[in-house]
Amino acid sequence: MLNLLRKIDQIIERISYYGLIIAIALMLSLSIMTIVFRWFGITFMWIDPLVRHFVFFSAFLGGALAISKNTHIKIDIASKLIEHLKNEKLDKALQVLLALVGVSAVMWMAHASYKFALMELEFGKEAFLGISSGQLVLLIPIGFVLMAYRYFFIIFSTVFSKEKL
Amino acid sequence: MEFFLYFLILIFALIGTPIFVIMGLAALVAFTFSGVDTSAIIVEMYRIASAPTLLTIPLFTFAGYLMAESKSPQRLFDFANAIFGRIPGGIAIVSLIVCAFFTAFTGASGVTIIALGGLIMPIMLKRGYSEKFNLGLITTSGSLGLLFPPSLPIILYGIVAKVDIDKLFLAGIVPGILLIVVLAIYSIYQGRSFTFAHNHQDVLPIKAAIWQARYELPLPFLVLGGIYGGFVTASEAAALTAFYVLIIECFFAKDLSITRDVPKIIAESMTLVGAILLILCCALGLTNYLVDEEIPMKILQVMKTYIDSKLMFLFFLNIFLLIVGCLMDIFSAIIVVVPIILPLAQEYGVDPIHLAIIFLTNLEIGYITPPVGINLFISSFRFQKPVIELYRASFPFLIIMLIALFIITYVPSMSLFWFDT
Repeated sequence: MLNLLRKIDQIIERISYYGLIIAIALMLSLSIMTIVFRWFGITFMWIDPLVRHFVFFSAFLGGALAISKNTHIKIDIASKLIEHLKNEKLDKALQVLLALVGVSAVMWMAHASYKFALMELEFGKEAFLGISSGQLVLLIPIGFVLMAYRYFFIIFSTVFSKEKL
Repeated sequence: MEFFLYFLILIFALIGTPIFVIMGLAALVAFTFSGVDTSAIIVEMYRIASAPTLLTIPLFTFAGYLMAESKSPQRLFDFANAIFGRIPGGIAIVSLIVCAFFTAFTGASGVTIIALGGLIMPIMLKRGYSEKFNLGLITTSGSLGLLFPPSLPIILYGIVAKVDIDKLFLAGIVPGILLIVVLAIYSIYQGRSFTFAHNHQDVLPIKAAIWQARYELPLPFLVLGGIYGGFVTASEAAALTAFYVLIIECFFAKDLSITRDVPKIIAESMTLVGAILLILCCALGLTNYLVDEEIPMKILQVMKTYIDSKLMFLFFLNIFLLIVGCLMDIFSAIIVVVPIILPLAQEYGVDPIHLAIIFLTNLEIGYITPPVGINLFISSFRFQKPVIELYRASFPFLIIMLIALFIITYVPSMSLFWFDT
């Protein structure tokens, strides 16, 4: 069971990793293309919103990566103190608690964004290149679910894994 | 019940829950209890996708990380050393300038201390500077270039406060130089009391140093010249910078492999960007709620009872921001605090651009302010020294920075003279 969950987590890691590489490559090439085309008096109106959406969605992919690397910005006075105590049980308990808070908050956000996506799908209009705002917004709950899964896996692997932290 | 939940969220924050989770939770609780549908938070969150300068955040950060991973720090250090290395205290000035350059590009995310600390420390020790002085200097320099373009905190401030980023870039230049100058004067003064080995064998001839740093030296001109020459927007300047750095580091200087190193650097830099943008996204709902509830105006009413002048407001603002700076990281502080203090400052007649520079200078100082200034911990980790030793080493630098802060706060023309004409 743990192996299957780990595999799913690794797939999310890979999606985030390669997704970010593709996003940066597209942001860079499309932006440079805009500058070059402007020299010839050609403007593509869809590039700017598309690139901004790449940035927006890469926040979720970067956020998913930061969860496994434990590099999210936080006030870590208490966790540093506990680290100094070198008490593995306490350390594990804190890790599980933080991941529990994480998964709850992120799932709540996913639910809120799903409701918004449904509204946009019904009433939203075309954003660019024939893509509707509803389709774009739908990526927000997906992003939150990816992050929620990573928190869930931290809880599961911390509780059931026999490996030392 | 509502109060209990906020209290619980505060406890979660103190035990190390990521700030974006805290912001999201606080917004969800606030909206739920005020009877507004929680999807309104996501409406606010999605607004970020229409911020015109959003692209500058990932691309400038990516460019900074590329340079930090290459041999650019060494080449720039050699260049600055060739210019200033022969004068008394010169090597300290070199360190200040190179660190400021790197912080401007990497956004004071700790990269400067990690990337440059190991380079600067042995050279300074060899030149006769005490370890304590070096620790203080490197720890302070880790956030020194925050006021220079294209620093990430300036961009973030512009997005959050809806202030023109081009103007902020200009406004930070002179205050940023002031900070370097006061620290340089102190370093030269201190340099007299150390015994130097005056052989300067490690200083390259100026011509050789310029040739070595020929790829990196045009960068500030590319960014500033591009934007203020009217050739490109801030977002396009970010794209040009990232593209230029990628090409020079991979194909001309050949420090990085485009297939082996660059993907890792993208993932590393975008992890930081993702963390910052998520805080920004989650905080937008919360700050919107605070503004809707007129919290800043309520604070203003209380403040007006005790604070009746602009000068007094600025004094208490500095104290408040120094406390914020040593407790919160700069990105969260900008996102959470700016929307609250901006209307207050306007009521007291503080220019929004001057406020930005005061705000960022305070947070820059916050990085080295005990007990929890983040640079103190990064240096403690990098040099394997107890954090108490870092407190002592950084203290004189902290005092000097506070003097500079005083000048920056009470001489607004230093930031605003560009726009008076």
